[in-house]
Amino acid sequence: MKIEFNNVGYSYQSGHQALHDINLCFEGDQSVAIIGQNGAGKTTLAKQLNGILRPTQGSLTIDGTEISERTTAQWSKRVGYVFQNPDDQLFLETVREEFAFGPRNLGVDEATIDSRIDKVAALTGLQGKLDVHPADLSPTEKKFCGIGAVIMMDPDAVVFDEPTCGQDYVGDVRLHDLIAELKREGKLCIAISHDMKFVAANFDRVVVMCQGEVLLDGTPQEVFSQVDVLRKSYVTPPPITRVAQGVGLGKTVLTVPQFVETLEETRAGLVPLLKTSAINNNHYEIVGHGGQSSMTQRKNKGNECQ
Amino acid sequence: MKPVVEVQDYSFTYQDAETPAIKDVSLTVREGEFVCVVGANGAGKTTLCNALVGLIPHYFTGKSEGSVRINGADTAETSVSDLSNYIGLVFQNPFNQLTYASGTVAEELTYGLGNRGISREEMRRRVKLVSQLMHIENLLDRDPLELSGGQVQRVAFGSTFILEPNILVLDECTTQLDPLGASEIFDIVKQLNASGITVIMVDHDMERVAEYADTVVVMERGQIRLAGSPREVFSVSDINRYGIDAPDYVKLSKGLERSGLSDGKLAITYDESLVMAKEVLEH
Repeated sequence: MKIEFNNVGYSYQSGHQALHDINLCFEGDQSVAIIGQNGAGKTTLAKQLNGILRPTQGSLTIDGTEISERTTAQWSKRVGYVFQNPDDQLFLETVREEFAFGPRNLGVDEATIDSRIDKVAALTGLQGKLDVHPADLSPTEKKFCGIGAVIMMDPDAVVFDEPTCGQDYVGDVRLHDLIAELKREGKLCIAISHDMKFVAANFDRVVVMCQGEVLLDGTPQEVFSQVDVLRKSYVTPPPITRVAQGVGLGKTVLTVPQFVETLEETRAGLVPLLKTSAINNNHYEIVGHGGQSSMTQRKNKGNECQ
Repeated sequence: MKPVVEVQDYSFTYQDAETPAIKDVSLTVREGEFVCVVGANGAGKTTLCNALVGLIPHYFTGKSEGSVRINGADTAETSVSDLSNYIGLVFQNPFNQLTYASGTVAEELTYGLGNRGISREEMRRRVKLVSQLMHIENLLDRDPLELSGGQVQRVAFGSTFILEPNILVLDECTTQLDPLGASEIFDIVKQLNASGITVIMVDHDMERVAEYADTVVVMERGQIRLAGSPREVFSVSDINRYGIDAPDYVKLSKGLERSGLSDGKLAITYDESLVMAKEVLEH
């Protein structure tokens, strides 16, 4: 699976231009997090991925085929989209029917559907809830029901809009396992998130959006090392990364074990200690609101398709 | 400081539910305290919030036992609108908070004030103040239906702040906001708290909880399992069994201890972690 954005722009009917000149390529079994401030264009970008919204400028191709050549219904068997609010997605009487609906419409045989239901129920933790009405599920379970219904279609790519929103610790752990499984199966996972701990722990690549443009694109280490650029899109690195930056560790750490290891290496003189500025890294002064702050556009051409 | 919230042996079972959503909950919150309520989804946190502001039992029906007193007034005997003079709730889902009965954000903000017979002059003063505080000055003439999730959340905050309650109840109220937008709202909440407003906040972000709370209350399956200072609560070694995770700062302290780099002191905030890491480098 390869999804390519070539100079994609998108304007809503109101005239508001939500995306400007996007050049991105998502490929193979990558896991990509899309982050950035409210109104930066994250959801507009994600909705291009299976044609829910279509570019008003430029072109978008999936495995070389122009998105305009097929309907969203046709694309959705290749690219699954999990809505932020499961109430926008669920409409049937039981979890089992929600799970069976997509593949049945795609003509998948009943035996395959049954075996997929077993697998997806285990992944989403809904084994005991298959005959429950989705409206009777807890908010967390509903969210996993929405995710399960999409995975049931066995798409090559899964797009998640704010999967951790409203999730608790157990839900976060389950999402971690689920994304790891999708990666193992070679699927492309793309998620919009405001939860930087979740982003750092689960994704190989992070795309930072700001005012409809790509501000940064790279590994979590690369992206979270650019504190000043991130601030333009109202994003802060995860807590543990900020502590490491406050201390002046010469490497960008994303996890507690990496922090401890880097501290040991720094003591041994293997990693340099950087000078830290006097600013408190845990508190950000905010200038300009509603996305009106000025910014310099940054693009990492290295992540575009060859 | 005098107690402003007194929950005593309180249980509530929603109509048609088999088990109580909260059970034998007792909690005293003193004036000016910052209390964070944490726990897995389904632990009863939102039910507790609804009980504090009187939506239980006046709006959600069911069976309750025990009592909830706000500034001494029993919520079972006081109307939601009278309670709203003392206590304000910012909902988990901001779309449930707005009335959508008004054509503009400004009208949405003043809805509660209008019902209270506040003068137009005073309304204008408060709209100005709150819209500056929440950075929604440029949205005042917009239709609330056209706002983004993050913008609705700011308006929802504003519509609660504008009533100037002494006690603020915040139920996971920044889920739609970007990280800096959320920190900014919590800074405002912290300022209000410093000026004497009592805050009761439900949140899943344990680093934030550790940073802000005077008292952390851990709920599980409808009951309060632990309550104490962040240091006391996050020192509990098997905290995961209550469906919550320790802040990364605590995990860092433990990681340093395991590697023999620290003597087992616990850092629970950003600043403490910074000091601890610097000490490791200096020795």
